Amino acid sequence: MKKNSKPRELDLGEIAVQLMQAQASETDSLSELRDALGRCLSGRLGADGSASVKRLVMAAKAKLDSLLVGEAADPEGALAAAVRLTCLATSPEDPQASQEPPLDWEPEPPVASPVPSASPSLPPGKPTLLPAEPDLDLIGEFMTEANEHVVNAEAALLTLEQRPDDAAAVNTVFRAFHTVKGVSSMLGMTALAELAHHAESLLARIRDGEIRCTGVYANLCLRGIDLLKETLSAVAAQLHGQEAKLPAGYAQLVRELQNPDQAAQPLPAAAAPLAPLPDVAASLPVAVPPSPAVAAALPDVAASLPAAAASLPAGAGPHFNANLATLSVTLPVPVNVSSAPASSAASRSTSDPDSSSRPAAPGDESSVRVRTDRLDRLIDMVGELVIAHSMLAADPRNDVSRDPDLSRKVGHAGKIVRELQDMSMSLRMVPLRPTFQKLTRIVRDVAKKSDKLIQFVSTGDDTEIDRNMVDVIAEPLIHMVRNAADHGIESTAARVAAGKSATGTVRLAAYHSGGSVVIDLSDDGGGLDRDRILAKATQKGLIDPNKSLSESEIYQLIFLPGFSTTDNVTDISGRGVGMDVVRRNIEQLKGRIEISSERGRGTMFSIRLPLTLAITDGMIVRVGAERYIIPTVNIAMNFRPEPSQVSTVAGRGELILLRGELIPLFRLHQLFKVDGAVTEPTRGLVVVLRDGVGSCGLLVDELLGQQQVVAKSLGAGIGKVAAVSGGAILGDGRVGLILDPGSLIALAKESRNGRPQPEAARHATSEPSMVQA
Amino acid sequence: MSQELSTTDQRAALSGKYLTFFLGAEEYGIAILKVREIIGIVPVTPVPGTPSFMQGVINLRGKIIPVIDLRAKFGMVTQAASRETCIIVVRRLDLELGIVVDAVSEVRNVAAAETDAMLDLGGEISAEYFLGISKADGKVRLLLDIDRILSTEDVLELTKR
Repeated sequence: MKKNSKPRELDLGEIAVQLMQAQASETDSLSELRDALGRCLSGRLGADGSASVKRLVMAAKAKLDSLLVGEAADPEGALAAAVRLTCLATSPEDPQASQEPPLDWEPEPPVASPVPSASPSLPPGKPTLLPAEPDLDLIGEFMTEANEHVVNAEAALLTLEQRPDDAAAVNTVFRAFHTVKGVSSMLGMTALAELAHHAESLLARIRDGEIRCTGVYANLCLRGIDLLKETLSAVAAQLHGQEAKLPAGYAQLVRELQNPDQAAQPLPAAAAPLAPLPDVAASLPVAVPPSPAVAAALPDVAASLPAAAASLPAGAGPHFNANLATLSVTLPVPVNVSSAPASSAASRSTSDPDSSSRPAAPGDESSVRVRTDRLDRLIDMVGELVIAHSMLAADPRNDVSRDPDLSRKVGHAGKIVRELQDMSMSLRMVPLRPTFQKLTRIVRDVAKKSDKLIQFVSTGDDTEIDRNMVDVIAEPLIHMVRNAADHGIESTAARVAAGKSATGTVRLAAYHSGGSVVIDLSDDGGGLDRDRILAKATQKGLIDPNKSLSESEIYQLIFLPGFSTTDNVTDISGRGVGMDVVRRNIEQLKGRIEISSERGRGTMFSIRLPLTLAITDGMIVRVGAERYIIPTVNIAMNFRPEPSQVSTVAGRGELILLRGELIPLFRLHQLFKVDGAVTEPTRGLVVVLRDGVGSCGLLVDELLGQQQVVAKSLGAGIGKVAAVSGGAILGDGRVGLILDPGSLIALAKESRNGRPQPEAARHATSEPSMVQA
Repeated sequence: MSQELSTTDQRAALSGKYLTFFLGAEEYGIAILKVREIIGIVPVTPVPGTPSFMQGVINLRGKIIPVIDLRAKFGMVTQAASRETCIIVVRRLDLELGIVVDAVSEVRNVAAAETDAMLDLGGEISAEYFLGISKADGKVRLLLDIDRILSTEDVLELTKR
């Protein structure tokens, strides 16, 4: 872990961090650091440094000198002193510290603390997200771990808001900061280490019963978690090659965390779940010196830090190849308690019976981290096994009358294969709980900001959906929950005036229904205002004012881009972005969203999603010798048209009359240049496709059947193909293309507009050889 | 890259084991380290809207991979698959790709001494697809630069649509 200093000039903060990581016995790196300090003195400090800083740096260098030449009686103490002096030398860059006369911070004699990073004067001048030479493997592993801690801590903090004395929850939050601090300072990520350090100090006081996790303190903790999250994503962004950038408000919050009592002057006695805003409290001009209790709690923290650091390499073994895309798979592995090694504090307390007071946290079951690409490969192979087995089962030699014994064996293998397939599919499924927890937080924040009383009730957070869908659905849910809390729920006064209870309710329910996952979001607010939606849509020219719309058509208008009925835009919502994104994301997941609303009683959004994206319910159609899969969700109906139903426009465009409605007719064989297909609509079959934009008829030869297929990418080398969303292995082992109705309709319209399609034309020349292949 | 291949260094870089195959009467070689496997011809599903040399996609044990027709890529006359037609599965960076060839010949050791720089033949024959030429036993074998076969501009062309 120890980084030798590079020829590049280190600034004081970096030197301080490297000193913190150095051991007194590592004379090589210490002498390099001493030289670096010397260069600082002669270099940038020589030019414009203040005298006190120079003095501190010189003192630090002197300590290192005495250590290196073996004069120091207590090498560890000398190193610690050097660290502290260097830290102090950096602190004038910290505006908070600069308010203090430097002499008040006069270095103490060498302290016994073995880990100087836990000293109250930790802040190196400029916290860095990543060290100069990051250990990418370890950092990747750490990021995954840290993110899990953040999720758990956030849930625990929300529990604390209800029950401020829940010791298990306090410990969870404490541990999150503690682990992040320990590991990040070891890895040289000082920005994280510093933030976590101060937050941990606050938590330590809460844990020791000195202060209660209510009001301003609770808010500080939550903001600390938020900032930790943001800093983590800033690190992730930097790892992906983006510019290193500390999150906004970093310095401000770190200062507040450093001095929480200043913010907490209005005492936590008024600790209702809805506490006063922290900004208001922070602006009170009361200065309180750092509490001695902070310092008192530190040696304890310091002592446990090496333990946390020491436990990391074990977890970072070769099996846990650092990969940010790992996912936690919960396997029903029975844990043999007697053989379980005495584990770290972290894992002990997740199985702590005391934690039963809070809802089961993720990770309560024994689980193994598996890389997602391996998982996908496993699912691929199982899919292949299913196909291989069905080919075996369909073999004419496997006939009950011919060989009942073989037939029985093949049948038995089939059962096992099916079970294996079900199980492999379930590996991708994760519960919605973490997503729902995030939403709890959002309702809370909106309620505070808009000064409303809102309770958030969620049920069914153990409902599982495909892991790949979680991220896509999280964003729309956040928008919608925000909208429900901000616009849906009326102000407290308006609620009381309307004779409703002062506390509004936002309800989120997830459950399985007929092979899909349904997520219902309802509120008992004012409901959607039909007339206002209509007026707004007319005003913005989104609809024809003379056309009469049905109730549900009016509600669907809110999904149009740029639509917003709120008169005043808040910083929470109402900018007119959002609902169109919501619909787009849900459609991307092949889901549907429905709205029902009653004026004055509330609104309900019902989202219906397929269980998994990996499996598409498809209709297999034939065109010439080719077969294509059309997602069933996009098929409205199919029929063989009568000659009278088909008409042409200007000799080119074809229309089909269906129940009094005219829809465009496109021929799949023309679009895809397939030879030998049915060209006469009355002899083929018209599939009526529907997507978000409109509907159209698609001419195919015939319907071969309905089948669940495993959707796969066509391979990186082929790029994005128009009108095709992917491929699937069909029952005979060949690849069938899955059509993407949205882009198919776009392609069809484009080709009808007479735009030349050079690529499609070129493609046609190679067609014969393909058909033969 | 191919202009000054006369130095020993550059010749040495060409030496190694190559899988050789035929397109018509011409023999070509692919560095063996790029080859993942060789499979017999399987049904190829054409993908609409792709360039003509992109023959389609196949099922490689549950994974879908694209297949290119090397004859089409080189502008040669395409022909129907025979019993000897093979798909050579190569790996280029992180993507796998099948290459349809007329027949696979052998794995041969190409020595530095027998190699030569690719000649600029002018006209339509694009020298950039080749690393060099092996001319052992009085036969010419063209050593393919498989990374260039699906080179950046081609990939761009594929992803543009």
